[in-house]
Amino acid sequence: MGAKITNIEYYLPEKIITNNQLAKQFPDWSSEKIEKKVGIRERHIVRENETALDLALVAGKKILKNYDKDKIDFLLFCTQSPEYYLPSGACILQDRIGLKTDIGAFDYNLGCSGFIYGLAMAKSMINSNIAKKIILITSETYTKHIHPKDKSNRTIFGDAAAATIIEKSEEEHIGEFALGTDGSGYKNLIVPNGGLRNRYNPNAKEIDDASGSIRTNNNLYMNGPEIFNFTIKAVPKVVSETLKKNNTTLDEINYVIFHQSNKYMNEYLRKKINIPKSKFCENLLLKGNTVSTTIPIAIKDSLDNNFIKKNDNVLLVGFGVGYSWGGTIITV
Amino acid sequence: MVKMKTTDFINELKDALEIEDEDQEITLETNLKELEEYDSLSILSIIAMIDKNFAKQIPSSDFVKITTIKSLMDLIGKEHFE
Repeated sequence: MGAKITNIEYYLPEKIITNNQLAKQFPDWSSEKIEKKVGIRERHIVRENETALDLALVAGKKILKNYDKDKIDFLLFCTQSPEYYLPSGACILQDRIGLKTDIGAFDYNLGCSGFIYGLAMAKSMINSNIAKKIILITSETYTKHIHPKDKSNRTIFGDAAAATIIEKSEEEHIGEFALGTDGSGYKNLIVPNGGLRNRYNPNAKEIDDASGSIRTNNNLYMNGPEIFNFTIKAVPKVVSETLKKNNTTLDEINYVIFHQSNKYMNEYLRKKINIPKSKFCENLLLKGNTVSTTIPIAIKDSLDNNFIKKNDNVLLVGFGVGYSWGGTIITV
Repeated sequence: MVKMKTTDFINELKDALEIEDEDQEITLETNLKELEEYDSLSILSIIAMIDKNFAKQIPSSDFVKITTIKSLMDLIGKEHFE
């Protein structure tokens, strides 16, 4: 017995920001240069009154349209853009989606590694008989945290939600996991204010990063070079550990889906690890980096575009904020 | 350890910064931050170049201190160069 991903749906908010729009606001920004290097042309962003829970609700309803929702017996909700400190968004979602009440539901706070951790929890819950049919929703709206004058982060991030159904299956379709955590890097990708350590400060002063981006401590801060340093160290290691734990090699893997951070970083990691380009997913162009949602979106898009097919072995790797990272291999 | 020639390093750096003008003069004394091509994206390229050639990561706090190309080479470590 085992667990299997049986369906994925996603939802992107309607509003789109193009490189041309960003170039108008930031005159030294070349739209072509950005697309070439970062691999992004457009990103979808939420409107002022739209939240991660709203996106999650649309994705959840979409996937349950042709599914008996009374069969769902667990809801996992991954976001770093919660509605409230409390209650959990998962509880609100249970009601709004219309799931039955004798199920478990909770939130967990992870970013770019979130989908991998969600799969790890879903698999273990199924294999320990806690649940049989799980809906995992990842939803993120980093753009809400980003300062309007923060050129770099506005270029990279987009908003999205994805819903994934993981079910008990005859054979195991979700392999072994290699997981990692290093909180020493927590300050390199952070929203410093707004929690209980540093309250939201309406008078927070503007900080100029000297490369044309401005933010305050109420906003998202990303130390790009340090995050790149972290991925250079962590990602090759987690790839080899994941392969080892699954007693396999890159040659046996049909397709590789990394968290879609940005094209330059992912391409560098691909070359460093010697993953053939033909096996490597690049899915940033029209969505940008949607944090915990890039991997399920990439799986769905790769299936729809026939880059992967039934019974393929697909290596999934998530890495980022925390620092937190993880890898696994799924059989589609 | 294989040591790198200064001229090779400068060429690697030109590639990383996507400086296409072959005649653009870049010397050890050139201030990286004054180059038109130097921006937050090119820092990623420089990190990649250093990792590829020297298997080293430069902490971002050290990146702030970089001025000339020579100062970058000092950060990487004099022992890596001829």
